[in-house]
Amino acid sequence: MLDRMRGLPWWKIAGLALVLLLPLAVSNRYYLHVLNLVGIYSLVVIGLNLLSGYTGQVSMGQAGFFGVGAYVSALLMMRLNVPFVVAVSAATLVSALCGVVIGIPAMRLSGPYLVMATVGFGEIMRLIMVNWVPVTMGAAGLTGIPLPSFLGMQISSERGFYYLICAVLYLATLEALRLSNSKVGRTFLAIREDDLAAGAMGVPTDRYKVAAFAISAAYAGIAGALYGSFAGVASPDNFTFDVSVLLLCMSVVGGNRTIYGALVGALALTVFSEALRFLQGYRLIVYGAILLATVIFMPQGLSGLAPAVAQVFRRMHFPGHKGQNGVAGDKGETCR
Amino acid sequence: MQYLLNGLPIGATYALIALGYSLIYASAGVLNWAQGDMAMLGAYLAYTLNRIVGLGFLPSMLAAMACAALVGTLVERGVLRPLRRRASPSINLIIATLGVAIIARNLALIVWGPDPQLFPSPVGSRIVSVGSLNLLPQDLLIVGVAIFLMLLLQYFLRFTREGKALRAVAQDRMAASLMGIVVERSDSVAFATSAALGAAAGILIAPLFFVTFNMGAVIGIKGFVAAVVGGLGNIPGAIAGGFVLGLTEAVAGGKISSGYRDAISFGVLILVLWLRPSGLFSRVNRAKV
Repeated sequence: MLDRMRGLPWWKIAGLALVLLLPLAVSNRYYLHVLNLVGIYSLVVIGLNLLSGYTGQVSMGQAGFFGVGAYVSALLMMRLNVPFVVAVSAATLVSALCGVVIGIPAMRLSGPYLVMATVGFGEIMRLIMVNWVPVTMGAAGLTGIPLPSFLGMQISSERGFYYLICAVLYLATLEALRLSNSKVGRTFLAIREDDLAAGAMGVPTDRYKVAAFAISAAYAGIAGALYGSFAGVASPDNFTFDVSVLLLCMSVVGGNRTIYGALVGALALTVFSEALRFLQGYRLIVYGAILLATVIFMPQGLSGLAPAVAQVFRRMHFPGHKGQNGVAGDKGETCR
Repeated sequence: MQYLLNGLPIGATYALIALGYSLIYASAGVLNWAQGDMAMLGAYLAYTLNRIVGLGFLPSMLAAMACAALVGTLVERGVLRPLRRRASPSINLIIATLGVAIIARNLALIVWGPDPQLFPSPVGSRIVSVGSLNLLPQDLLIVGVAIFLMLLLQYFLRFTREGKALRAVAQDRMAASLMGIVVERSDSVAFATSAALGAAAGILIAPLFFVTFNMGAVIGIKGFVAAVVGGLGNIPGAIAGGFVLGLTEAVAGGKISSGYRDAISFGVLILVLWLRPSGLFSRVNRAKV
């Protein structure tokens, strides 16, 4: 059923229209701000999904790459007067390089060792931010990061940021989908399922693992660069281990085996977090509880519900096909 | 030389936490993210019993350790068992214990508030001088109690039924269950023991640092580094790893830079993971396909 839907343009057009017209309908700046944050975080989580969900390399250090992107872009713009687009590109590249740096020792690790290595790396990045005072301004961080300006226009309103983030997110998602459906994506899946067997089949697993780290770091880097200009400030407190945990939660709750799961997770958790603000201290407890519940009862996350929902839908509309189980959701496995 | 002396109590603390990690990893095959938070819980419980209820230091410590053991058992029953029953991938187990850690930390924040609490040392804080070296009596207490607990653990593992069962499960889970050992019970025992050890570590270190809801985070990670350095799942290795890490940290922190001290620990972790992932003190394990 979903296959047939892919050709139908109506819901795509409707969705696109909704996304594009949303800022005109939502006049509350705060809501737009939250949506923008969701967009930025989704970027990071897409990278995380590619790394952890597809390639099976769990990473809890994404905040480090996020921060690298923010700092590099901000410093280039502030100290060397580099134009926005160049700064962002450079930040993405530097982030990707960091991904390679951590990917090389990490490619031999798995399970808790890999998790801890990534945690360690994230912390090292943060400590560099705190201690390299002449460059990074230490714990105080950078303030007054320039707004994005390119092609003669400057983006300073929430609406402007919304469109910018949407554009970047759209391109990033397209690229991620393309990647995941290509030979590269299938290699990632092979590595996740059984990397010894993949290696025996001739797959250069080491190279692909490092590549996965680099790609996820690049996504985090570009998100970080956007975040820097969006928030205007960047300090080590924004890129702590807790942020990595939050990103992981988004990945898990949304479903880390799909690309759309990243968007779903980011949206769900951020909306949730804002909606539950009145709970204050208890909010994080609820977070932890949600994490636990998701992992125990819904290991494929929210986007893993999609095949199940589609199957129910199909059974409702095509009652004659009762025994059929053609949905690619036997194990909750989808390739998008 | 003074650095080495400073590193001993820290090393002992790391060793206790590392033992917790290794115990659980050896028997249940899980990385318990909440291990550091057991230390935090133990410290807070002991603080409450000691300062507010008015119990002596030793009874507070024992009671807190017992409570922590209970919490550990609850975690095993409530979180680990359902996941095992559903045959979850190991990453989900780690995330689940992470969830427990988040809940524990924020519960502590609500119950005891965000202000760091002061836990006065039961042996006074007058500095003892031996030649040119300075010691706090608390340092001696930490090392002494830690060594005592480690010996107790060795006795438990070697000579008691539960301990032997634990070792059997650690060696070969399926064979142990075929031999009639109830594997889930061993998991509970492992979790309870680790929690108690962690709580002891937290209580011992509380007089040196303040008791805050976040103290479990750093200690947990350092303890894990120590466990990995010694070989995850290797009991004596955990002890050795703890001391190695504590001493390295103290010396490097003193000689090189104190701001980067944590970075040095992580650097050590990454180095060990890269070059000798089975740990410095373990026999190299090749994965059988």
